[in-house]
Amino acid sequence: MGKAEQTMECCLLGGKLMLRYGAETYRVEDTMTRMAQSAGMHHVSSFVTITGIFLAFRTTEGQDLMQMIRVRERYQDLSKVTSVNQVSREFTHGELTIENTIQKLIEIEKAPMNYPLWLIYLASGIGGAAFSYLIGGSLFDVLPAFIGGLITTVSLVLYQKYLKVRFFSEFLASLTGGMIAILLVQSGFGISIDQVIIGTLIPLVPGVPLTNSVRDLMSGDLVAGVARGAEAGVSSLSIAAGVAVSLSILYI
Amino acid sequence: MIWLELLLCFIATVAFGIIFNIPLRLVWWGGFIGVLTWFIYNVLPDFGWSKVFSAAVAAFAAAFVSHWLARFRRVPVTTFTIPGIIPLVPGGRAYSTMLAFVEEDYFNGLQQGIETLLQAGAIAAGLVFALSIFSIGKGVGQRYETNR
Repeated sequence: MGKAEQTMECCLLGGKLMLRYGAETYRVEDTMTRMAQSAGMHHVSSFVTITGIFLAFRTTEGQDLMQMIRVRERYQDLSKVTSVNQVSREFTHGELTIENTIQKLIEIEKAPMNYPLWLIYLASGIGGAAFSYLIGGSLFDVLPAFIGGLITTVSLVLYQKYLKVRFFSEFLASLTGGMIAILLVQSGFGISIDQVIIGTLIPLVPGVPLTNSVRDLMSGDLVAGVARGAEAGVSSLSIAAGVAVSLSILYI
Repeated sequence: MIWLELLLCFIATVAFGIIFNIPLRLVWWGGFIGVLTWFIYNVLPDFGWSKVFSAAVAAFAAAFVSHWLARFRRVPVTTFTIPGIIPLVPGGRAYSTMLAFVEEDYFNGLQQGIETLLQAGAIAAGLVFALSIFSIGKGVGQRYETNR
């Protein structure tokens, strides 16, 4: 494999990882452009939307290369974004060869999540409990919010694992969480139903697409920004629909 | 009582950092930004400022500190902004909106829904202002080509 093909593979792998784990569009474009330029390529152009990456450059021999890849799945794992950022920074500063960079990127791709799944479940319980206190201010409702937040995230992970449908699993997780919260309050484990439901559902907030959408629109990546905004909107609407259904079944 | 709130806000923001899989060495900074955000968001209404404007100012402060920290620690800025603005998310209002619509109280639902949207817009506005300050001199041209 020649140097040009290796550079192309390296840049596309880095870009794919960043985009998949929740980096902003401008950062993906910028990283790929810098990596290709520091490998000695000219006329580097990259175009990134949230579902695909295009990269084109001209080698030192005057040969033009262009490739695109499709990125289907999107996760929220900012520690992988940070690691890819670090690797690309080292490559651009000339501290890594292309072979080492590809090796390191493949290691990042194959690495498991930064935190074990049980810690994420626990964190969503704790986050929900603390947030429900911040919203309502009654310490008695913290425990049901903890149970609710834990069950919401566990059920979200299970639905996504076995059903593999993007927004429907969020709807089902929010429905499950809402019903658990209402049942807990009705059986006497909490006082204020508002506080418990908010604490239960807050771990589902689509924080990554929401923040990145603002960032993309501001840096002029209009296609990616609008698409991410739509993703965040549909996510929020499915969560809201789940709450509405659980309220209609059990509460009203 | 404010101390308990600030402590719980720190715990909540750190927990959200773990939910978003932020590396352990950076999660604590996100917690401090969350505490700062919550403090500003709760103190400004005492001076007579509206909730929406306080949210915008708090989001601006969170994003400003995040950009500064990201430059200092050389990591992507989203590692700090995403947990930093979590305390501002209008979860309570969104819930009241849904409740009002389910109870067929559409007038109240619309009112609460507009307040929810305004607060979300205020968070976005705060992020945008901080970002604009940090990208002075780096953006691309718009409207008039003055440099030739």
